Amino acid sequence: MRNLDNRKYTIALVFLLISVTFTVRLFYMQVVDGQWKERAAQISENKISTYPARGIVYDRNNVKIISNEIYYDIHVIPKQVKDVDSFKLAKLLDITIEKYSEKMAAAKDYSYRKSSEIVRQIPPNEFALIAPELYKYPGFFEVARTLRVYPKKIASHVLGYMNEASPADIEKDRYYKPGDYIGRSGIEKMYENYLRGQRGVKYYLQDAIGIPTSRYEDGKYDTLAVQGKNITLTLDWELQAYGEELMKNKLGSIVAIEPSTGEILAMISAPDYDPNLLVGRHLSKNYTKLQQDTLLPLYNRSISSKNPPGSTFKTLMALVGMQTGAITENSSFACNRSLSGCHNHPTARNVSDGVKMSCNPYFISLTRRIIQPGKVKSIFKDAALGMDVWAKHVKSFGIGEDLHTDLPSVVRGKVPTREYYDNEFPSKRNPYGQYRWAFSTIYSNSIGQGEVLTTPLEMANIAAAIANRGQFFYPHFIKEIEGEYLPDLYTNPVKTTIDTTYFRPVIDGMWRVVHEPGGTARRARIDSLNVCGKTGTAENFKMVHGKRIQMTDHSIFMAFAPKDNPQIAISVYVENSGFGGTWAAPIASLMIEKFIRGEISDKAKETRVLEANLIPDEDDYLKK
Amino acid sequence: MRNQENKIFANIDWTLFVIYIVLVLLGISNIYSSVYNPEKSNIFNLDTEHGKQIMWFGVSLFFGIVILFLESNFIRKYAYWFYGFTMFLLVAVLFTPPINGARSWFGFGSVGIQPSEFAKIGVALALSRFFDQAHSFSDRASSFNKKVGLSNLWGMVPFILKNKETALILGIPCVLVLLQPDAGTFIIFTSFILVLYREGYAGNMLLFMVIAIIIAVITLLVADSSFELPLTDIKLSGKAGIIITLVVLVGIFALLIKNFILKRNRKSLYKSLFGSLLVAVIFVNFIEVGYSNILQSHQKVRIDLLLGKIDDPDGDGYNINRAKAAIGSGGFIGKGYKQATLANAHQKHVPMQSTDFIFCTWSEERGFIGSFLLVSLYTFLLLKIVVIAERQRSHFTRVYAYCVGSIFFYHFLINVGMAIGLAPVIGIPLPFFSYGGSSMMSFSVLIFILIKLDSERKIVLQ
Repeated sequence: MRNLDNRKYTIALVFLLISVTFTVRLFYMQVVDGQWKERAAQISENKISTYPARGIVYDRNNVKIISNEIYYDIHVIPKQVKDVDSFKLAKLLDITIEKYSEKMAAAKDYSYRKSSEIVRQIPPNEFALIAPELYKYPGFFEVARTLRVYPKKIASHVLGYMNEASPADIEKDRYYKPGDYIGRSGIEKMYENYLRGQRGVKYYLQDAIGIPTSRYEDGKYDTLAVQGKNITLTLDWELQAYGEELMKNKLGSIVAIEPSTGEILAMISAPDYDPNLLVGRHLSKNYTKLQQDTLLPLYNRSISSKNPPGSTFKTLMALVGMQTGAITENSSFACNRSLSGCHNHPTARNVSDGVKMSCNPYFISLTRRIIQPGKVKSIFKDAALGMDVWAKHVKSFGIGEDLHTDLPSVVRGKVPTREYYDNEFPSKRNPYGQYRWAFSTIYSNSIGQGEVLTTPLEMANIAAAIANRGQFFYPHFIKEIEGEYLPDLYTNPVKTTIDTTYFRPVIDGMWRVVHEPGGTARRARIDSLNVCGKTGTAENFKMVHGKRIQMTDHSIFMAFAPKDNPQIAISVYVENSGFGGTWAAPIASLMIEKFIRGEISDKAKETRVLEANLIPDEDDYLKK
Repeated sequence: MRNQENKIFANIDWTLFVIYIVLVLLGISNIYSSVYNPEKSNIFNLDTEHGKQIMWFGVSLFFGIVILFLESNFIRKYAYWFYGFTMFLLVAVLFTPPINGARSWFGFGSVGIQPSEFAKIGVALALSRFFDQAHSFSDRASSFNKKVGLSNLWGMVPFILKNKETALILGIPCVLVLLQPDAGTFIIFTSFILVLYREGYAGNMLLFMVIAIIIAVITLLVADSSFELPLTDIKLSGKAGIIITLVVLVGIFALLIKNFILKRNRKSLYKSLFGSLLVAVIFVNFIEVGYSNILQSHQKVRIDLLLGKIDDPDGDGYNINRAKAAIGSGGFIGKGYKQATLANAHQKHVPMQSTDFIFCTWSEERGFIGSFLLVSLYTFLLLKIVVIAERQRSHFTRVYAYCVGSIFFYHFLINVGMAIGLAPVIGIPLPFFSYGGSSMMSFSVLIFILIKLDSERKIVLQ
């Protein structure tokens, strides 16, 4: 018989071998190899963000103009749903039965035990009707979230709106996650980083389905959400609301600035819309409607439209003329209508007269002296040198320059320069070329009708610069950010190139425009308030089927008041309404009076403006 | 009578008993930790798994004491009866309504009994009884081995034909559990090969098994693939590749034999060499056909996952991926008692965490130190059983001890191996750790019978 006893060793060896193998494997998995720890974390841990309340926005008098409101999403956990009357529920939630079925199917598809959204962003007033009924539908519940509310329903263009962060936003700033809201335009966009605050994170352990079961490490790594910063704007909500009221049924804009600080008191672009339209579940529907409106209610004319400044520009020509020595305060020019038309008026015997009567030939002659000072023999070279001087002075008023206004996509106007006429005018393909043009080519600029372009914001800034007698502050909306300092940018004055002394005759003329018989803006007069202003009429061309067609002029008025210690500088544009004195001037005066006195003395003037409908064509803009 | 009692307890192997108690208590505390619920924190709460497990432990102890007071002759005498009874249960269970696609359970209200757990005891007893009677078995086996030659790898078939009784004792339960179907228990029944080995059956059995496993793994790895024969355009299946390789290997061996072996020995070597080739080719085909045509798709997937042919951590590989993550995340010292975040009853990341994957909870909470401790405890238990087996003068007890050892070994091998990704996913319990009444009772009874039989090691021959 063979000895089988040794086989016990074999068996014991097999047992030991397996144990050693297991031990080595376990050591590798548990101690050496990190991948399983990572994998375990990936499987069992997750985090949720906690969202802070977004910063509140106040007007200059500490009245809330942007605030937060709790909206409600309706969610469902399919597993908990019991014999639901779909038709009744769909009706309660104000959705179609098809939409309801579709959402329910998607929810079941996603998970039976996890919640899915059925309806999103129900405003509180609508939810008040749903809430008492909701308990009858097990499995359905509300999830609160805060959204923006604009209690005064004003300044839609300035305040802007928010929507969901796009993939591009997320790409740009990793802070954002799909589903987050981000300021899309206006102040909401400009001060996004202050307003949004800092999201908090809660780490938790989840079960196999993804439902949180407990906090991770007792919340050791959790962070608290940091409340967004409240900000105060320079806007005066009452003035803003009043301006919007005045601009009803009109196209155009109003920009009002406090000259002593550059604070923007009101910025109106008509037509506008109720900013609350772009909040909540109807956002995209409403946005599409607004976008398709031919009157462009989404377009902020105050900072985006460029027009020739018209006669308002004459004030600058007078200032530049005196500064360069081309004229003196008492220079007189005959009303020679060889280059332009004019209206019947007495001869302008000095700068003040010229401004008051807005005599076209006066300013053409004046500007000729600036552009063609006769220092060089060649009129072409002379014009080029003159143009450099002219452009420098005009630009110093901020036209075509960066005004550092705190709104996204502020458009700049344009000051034509020597280079512009050399290389780009009349067209880039076929320009005049160097020393091939002279004053006679560009004289229209003298009366604000040439190549010079200004935006309403720039126009208001010019008014502020004149009101301040030669300096301005960058126009801005921000007055205070909770716990932050404002940039020096907004507190340091910007000097124009014109000496203070030259402003007196121009301002005098502007006062006479409003207050003296024969002035072009008598409608801007306010009892016992010294308003200084200047009318303008921007010629308005529109491309229709490739042809340049002249439309009714835009009515412009630029003003400030009171004459001494000005409190408000303003520009008013009323599109397609003709001469500046007719509509723009009275609107400006109403705004001025509203701001300075808080009430309107001339009710007839107010009624005339409020009742006017100056929108050309059909009244097809969005009904609020 | 008093004398008798003293004798019973005097010769009990307390070490084995203590290992058993330690494993059971660790197992219960582990289940308590994994399902811990502050609202049902009472460890004896019968609504909970740990509460029930304690109850089953109590029942097991009761059976254990009954066994200790039995005459060991009684156990020997009724071994076949018990075997017959468990086989009857295995037949009867086939007529119950299926649960999860298998007819494995007798349901009594909320309690279920799994007869296949007790069939292991029946088979162990029957095998012991049979070998006890066939005292000359070892001689028969060794003479057989001599006759056909040690190197003959195909010895199994004639062996089984020759030893019909053994084949029958093992074959009946195998067929019956496959009918349920319960692949896990079937594999446990193959553990008795170790017993046969110890009792003198073909010595090359283990070598044969190792070679067979290697060939099987290679076959499975290349089963679905094909390759181009070098220097030609002929496309061949993976199977053909293996067979060609085998033929080439045999050719090389034949040449070696021709050149280096004495002529008179050559003939028998040639015979076994080519015989082996034939067996190997048949085996390859058997594996390939079995894998492609007989295995159910989920079984194929489990094999593919094990072999790394597919990787699908959130789909087919979900179970094993979660199990490995739980174990791996335990680190060196573990996450602590009741601190498992994957392998616990609330998170449910690891499926069947309290039964088949209970090792994950232990490893996650106790880390490598705990894993090592548990592996060591089991190894100690297995080696202790070998020691106990080898000190018996009774053939019955020795065979029985090896049966118990083999069963525990297989459960340990497959359950832990599966959790750490070294064995395919087969749902069998880890002795004393996995939640379940049937397994707790059957493992306890196995141990207690061994303790009882061992305690009389000195009496038997008196």
